[in-house]
Amino acid sequence: MFRCFLAGRPTKNRAKIAQKNMEYDTIVIGAGLAGLTAANARAARGERVLLLAKGHGACQWASGCVDLLDAPEHPLAAIAQLAAKHPLHPYARVGPAALHGGLKLLQSACSKMGYPLVGSPTQTLRLPTALGALRPTSLVPLTMVAGEARQLAAGGPLLIAGFRALRDFFPPLIAANLRTQGFPATSCYLTMPNSERQRDFTPMNLAHLFERPAFRENVAQQLRAHVRQGGYTRIGLPAVLGLHHAVTVVQALQQTSNALIFEIPTPPTSIPGMRLAHALEQAARQAGVHIQLGSWVVRGSGSQKRLETIYSAAAAREQRHHAQHWVLATGGILGGGIRREPQGALRETALGLPVHSPSQANEWFHPHLFAPGGHPIFQAGIATDQHLRPLDAAGQIMYTNVMIVGSALAHCDPLREGCREGIAVATGYKES
Amino acid sequence: MNHPPPLNQGLDQCIKCNICTSACPVAAVSDRFPGPKYVGPQAQRFRREGQPVPDDSVDYCSGCRVCNEVCPTGVPIAQLNARARAQIVAERGVPLRNWLIARTDMIGRLSAGPQAPLVNFVLRLAPTRWLAHYILGIHRHAPLPLARRHTFRAWVAERRVQGTGNREQGTGNREQGTENREQGTENREQRTENREQGTENREQGTEKSVLSSPSRLTPPTSTPPTSTPPTSTPPTFSPHASSPHASSPHASPIVYFHGCATQAYEPHVGQAALAVLEHHGYEVLVPPQNCCGLPLISNGDFVAARRAHLTNVRHLLAYVRQGIPVVGTSTSCTLTLKEEAPEILGLHSADVQLLAAHTYDLFEFLRLLAEAGQLRRDFRPMARQLPYHIPCQYRAHRIGQPVVDVLSLIPGLQLSLSPAACCGIAGTYGIKREKYAIAMAVGQPLFNFIRQSGSDLALCDSETCRWQISHATGVATKHPIELLAEAYNLSYYQS
Ligand code: SF4
Ligand code: SF4
Repeated sequence: MFRCFLAGRPTKNRAKIAQKNMEYDTIVIGAGLAGLTAANARAARGERVLLLAKGHGACQWASGCVDLLDAPEHPLAAIAQLAAKHPLHPYARVGPAALHGGLKLLQSACSKMGYPLVGSPTQTLRLPTALGALRPTSLVPLTMVAGEARQLAAGGPLLIAGFRALRDFFPPLIAANLRTQGFPATSCYLTMPNSERQRDFTPMNLAHLFERPAFRENVAQQLRAHVRQGGYTRIGLPAVLGLHHAVTVVQALQQTSNALIFEIPTPPTSIPGMRLAHALEQAARQAGVHIQLGSWVVRGSGSQKRLETIYSAAAAREQRHHAQHWVLATGGILGGGIRREPQGALRETALGLPVHSPSQANEWFHPHLFAPGGHPIFQAGIATDQHLRPLDAAGQIMYTNVMIVGSALAHCDPLREGCREGIAVATGYKES
Repeated sequence: MNHPPPLNQGLDQCIKCNICTSACPVAAVSDRFPGPKYVGPQAQRFRREGQPVPDDSVDYCSGCRVCNEVCPTGVPIAQLNARARAQIVAERGVPLRNWLIARTDMIGRLSAGPQAPLVNFVLRLAPTRWLAHYILGIHRHAPLPLARRHTFRAWVAERRVQGTGNREQGTGNREQGTENREQGTENREQRTENREQGTENREQGTEKSVLSSPSRLTPPTSTPPTSTPPTSTPPTFSPHASSPHASSPHASPIVYFHGCATQAYEPHVGQAALAVLEHHGYEVLVPPQNCCGLPLISNGDFVAARRAHLTNVRHLLAYVRQGIPVVGTSTSCTLTLKEEAPEILGLHSADVQLLAAHTYDLFEFLRLLAEAGQLRRDFRPMARQLPYHIPCQYRAHRIGQPVVDVLSLIPGLQLSLSPAACCGIAGTYGIKREKYAIAMAVGQPLFNFIRQSGSDLALCDSETCRWQISHATGVATKHPIELLAEAYNLSYYQS
C-alpha cells in the first residue's frame, strides 16, 4: 500500500544524478536469519539493498536447523491453529505464503552451496542435541538427517564419537541420555589426527581441518575400525564436519566407515548456523546486496512518519544512510536488539522504538527457570500493524516505511515456541 | 542510545559467544594464537597495571580488527589487544627488530633519495636477507618495497618551483570556471535537484561543512593553471555555490596526508591523488607531517607513537582549525589519525579530536562529493574487470566500501570483490620471522581469489597489502586512486 505512495516520490529525477551505489531502495539493519532473508528477498525483487549490522547475527549461536513450531506432528497445521487463536502473533500477521516463500529462498540458497536442507513444514523431525535430548525441528541439513529419531529407532547400534580436545561435547553424556530414551547408543573418543595444530580445537578450527582430505581420511579409518568392532550402523559426530564442503566430508566419512554419519549441533559457535548464514550472505552478494558489518546504528531521523536517514557509528564521525524502505531485523533480547535502559524501560536499540512488554519489570521472570509458560519478558518486542510497521504505545504507526522482522517482533516467544527460524524467514520474506 | 561501549568498559559486554574466535584469521591458521575472546576480553581480567603480564600470546594478534567487525556486542577486542601488547613492551622493552621496523619514516628517509638504487640492491642480496632473517628476525622472503630516488615531497617541492602544481597558485582554474558557468545555465533541473539535496545536507554537520568550506587561506598568487587539461565530456556536478569548482575566485584548500609509503616508495599514489583532487578544483596542500604512528602502536611502542601523533597534530592543527579537511590515500594512516591514535593511546585533547574530525580517507571524501552531486563524471570508459580487496584497516573505518561506490561510476569498469578478511601482512606483522608463515597462510584465500580472477592487475588501498598481494601472487597491484586518475585521463606519473 505505501509502495504506491512511494512510487510518486521524485525517484525518477533523482535517478538522473543517481549515485549508482550510494542510494538504496532498502536498508536492512541486522545480519541474522531475518535480516539476511529480507535482504535476499528484496534484492530478488529488483531492489538495491544495503545490509547494515553490528556484527554477525544469532545464526552463529543457533542449531543450524529450521524450527517452525514446537508441535508433535504437523507444524504447518499447528501454525494455522496458532494464527487463528492469536491474531497478533507474527505468523498470523504474515500468513502461510510468506513462510513458504522464505523457506524456499533459504533452501535454494543452501542448495546452491551444495548444502541442501531437507524435511518439510508438514512434518516434525526430532534430532539429538549435544545433551542427548531430542529436539523438534522441521528442516535440517543433509548432514544431520541420519540422526532423526525415527531413523535411529529403526536402525541398529549407534555410536556417538567426539574428540577430547573439543570442549563442550561429551559423547558419554549424549550416549547415556540416548540410552535412557531407548536408543542403543555407545560412545567413544577419537584420536585427533596429526596436524600443525596442537591445541585450541574450536568448532571452527576442526571444521577447517575436516576440509582436508588427509585429516578426514584419518578420522574415517578410526570410525571404520569402530564399526568393524561394534557393528554400528550410524555414527553421531559433533557438527564440525567442514564449513564449506560439509556434505562432501560426510559422504567421504560414510564411504570409508561403512556407517551412516550424522552431525549433532554443538554449543556456540555453531558451525551449521554459520553455514546457513554463509549461504544467505553468498546469495545476497551475488544478487548485488552490499553488506556492511561492524556498524552500529545509533539513531534515525525522518518526518511525517517516514524514516529518511539513519546514522551509524564509524571512525571519527557518524556515517549517514538514506533509503526509501527500511527493514529492522535487530533481534530480540537474546540477539541484542532489545535492551533495558537504566531507568528500567525496554527499548529497541537501533532506532529507539518503544517495546511492547506484557508485564511490569517485577513480573519479567517466572519464579521457575523452566516454567512451561516461559518468562514473560521473552514475549517483549515491537508491536506492529498487519504490514509489520512499528506502532507506538498508543497503537499509532510510527514509520510507514519501516518493517520489523524476526525476533524483534512482539507477541511471540520464538525460543519457547520453537519458531525462531520460521518467524525469521517468514517475516523477512514478507513484501512491504 | 545504541553506542558501542567505550574501550575500558568493553570487556564487560562480552557474552563469550566466540563469534570473534571463529572469524579471527590468525586463530584459524595458527595455534600459537588462542583467539580474540581468549586474549582480549578474557585475559584482560588478569591484566593489572604493575603486575607481570600473565600471557604473551596476545603478541600474535595482527591487529586486523576482523574480530571487532563481527562481534555482536561491540567489544573493542583489537584495541584491548593493542594495549595488552604495549603492556608487555612497557614491561620488557621493545626488541631491536620491532624498534626498527616500527620506524617506517626513518627507514624511508634512509632508503629513498639518490642512494635508493644502492639500498634496493643491497637489501635484495641473499646474504643481507639471510643476516636480516637470522640476526634481526625479518623474514628473508618478506616483501620489501623498492625505495625511490625521487620522494613524493621532493616532487611536490619541484612542482612548486616550476609552478605547475596547484600548491602556490591555487586554482584560478579559469577554463574550468567557464565550463561550469555554461553548465549552470544548461542544467536547471539539476539545480533544483540540488536544492533538495541541500536541505538534506544540512543535517550532515561536519560532512557538509567540509565539502563547502570556502578558502580561508591567504589568496593564492596567480599563475595560469596548467595542471589538468579540460576534458571533453562535460562534468555532471552542479554549479552549486558550495562546489569547489564553482566560479569562486579561488579554490578550496585541502590537505593531503601522504604517509611514509607514498613518500619513500610509491610517490605515484600521491601524484594520482593530487591529480584527482586538483581535477575537482581543490588546492592541495602538503604541509610537513610525519609517520601516523600506526607501526609504533602495533609494535607496542606507545611512547614513540604518542610523540608521532602529537607532532602530526601540531603540524596539521592550523589547517583543521580553518576547517580544511585532511585526506589520505593510506587507509591505515587515516584510520590512525581518526581513531586508533586517540583511542588506543588515550589522547583525547580538543586538538586531537579536531584533527580526527577533519580526517578522511580519500575515497570516503570523494564519495561525499558524489553524494553531494559534486564528483566529476568526465570518465573515459574502461572496459575492464578487476579484483579489488578492501583492506581490513579500511573496513575498520566502518564506512562501507567507498572505493566500490566511487569506482563503479566509471562506465565499463567491473570490480570483483575479494571475499577475504585480511591479506595477512597487517603492516609490519607479516615481515617478522616468526609470523611470516602465519601471514602467508592468512592471506591464502585472498591470493587464491586473485589468481583465479586471471587478472594481471589487482586493486587495494593499503600499501603493505599491495606488496603482500604482489609478493604472493606475482600479480601487479595499484591503489584505486591510480585507476580513478586514469579514468579521468589525468597524467600523474613522474616524467
Ligand atoms: S564476539 Fe564479542 S561477545 Fe562474542 S566472545 Fe568475542 S568479544 Fe565476546
Ligand atoms: S585483530 Fe585480527 S588477529 Fe587480532 S584478535 Fe582480532 S581478528 Fe584476530
